[in-house]
Amino acid sequence: MDKIRRRRDRLEVIYDILKIIRQHHNSIKPTPLLRYSNLSSQSFSEYINELLEKGFVKEITNEKEKKFLTLTDKGFRYLEKYKLILGFIEEFEL
Amino acid sequence: MYTSSPLFLLVSGRNIEYMPMHHLIDPARLAVEISYTLVVVFLCFMIYFKTREIYDLTKHEGIQYFRITFSFFGLAYLLRFLSILFIPMGVTFDSHLLTHIFRIFPMVFSGYFSTMAILSLTYSTIWKKLQIKHTLLTFNAVSVLISVIAFITRSPSLLILSQAVLLSFTIIMATYTDSRSRKISPLFILYILFFLFWMANLFTLDPRRFLPIEIQILFRIVSIAVVGIIYYKVAKWTK
Repeated sequence: MDKIRRRRDRLEVIYDILKIIRQHHNSIKPTPLLRYSNLSSQSFSEYINELLEKGFVKEITNEKEKKFLTLTDKGFRYLEKYKLILGFIEEFEL
Repeated sequence: MYTSSPLFLLVSGRNIEYMPMHHLIDPARLAVEISYTLVVVFLCFMIYFKTREIYDLTKHEGIQYFRITFSFFGLAYLLRFLSILFIPMGVTFDSHLLTHIFRIFPMVFSGYFSTMAILSLTYSTIWKKLQIKHTLLTFNAVSVLISVIAFITRSPSLLILSQAVLLSFTIIMATYTDSRSRKISPLFILYILFFLFWMANLFTLDPRRFLPIEIQILFRIVSIAVVGIIYYKVAKWTK
């Protein structure tokens, strides 16, 4: 049973991506983030675009012109509220 | 214009065949209705506002329809109250237009909002298993159709009947989509009770169906308790 990996739902994938960014001192390059997130590159791009669009993460460029992803306040709030969101969805069978 | 007002008819002792005496504005009944409406509407809108943040963060379809449910139920209860308040005015005015405005329209809109709410709550629990295209458009079409029926018949009876059919459909769908789980969820019972109380509320809108004030109060208390439990469950997860 354990060998079959459960498919993560959308909210869980978002949580995982945001958690990885936070664990890396709130600054990580897209390539290692893709590796840690266990997603296909296409899914990863779709999720990152969605997160950028909805203001959960923002892209910053350092002095060496390297791109990093960091969490916004909204991103931190999502991480903080995630357990409650899951509880709510489960409670009301949504 | 006001020669057929209930007060005039009462004072003059004329028989009002089309408007039973008990349904003229009775202060006790009005007080019960105001308190009941205020509490239920407050709880419904609180549920709507308390879930705003988790919806903004997730854009979860189930949460979206859950919120729509309670905003529409709040409006439906508010208009139901207006309907009760304006029923005596239906005999106060000789003009058909004013009768329509004060008596029929609140009932029609109440029918529309409550049908939208019933459909949304059902969909919020089954949306993962049953994807409907143009969901909101479909729900609006069904709700408009039911409220048009209410308008044509000018009676809550057909509204109750339509919503009873809808409720039966909801129970069948919920059972069908959740056929793997053998036990009935307490939430499902809570939702069914919520719907049933709403329909019982519509049932008592008809002036011919008079219930003693004690039974009405008891009925309202149990109804508030059901909405209160739902609110408590929401508040627990939206601190």
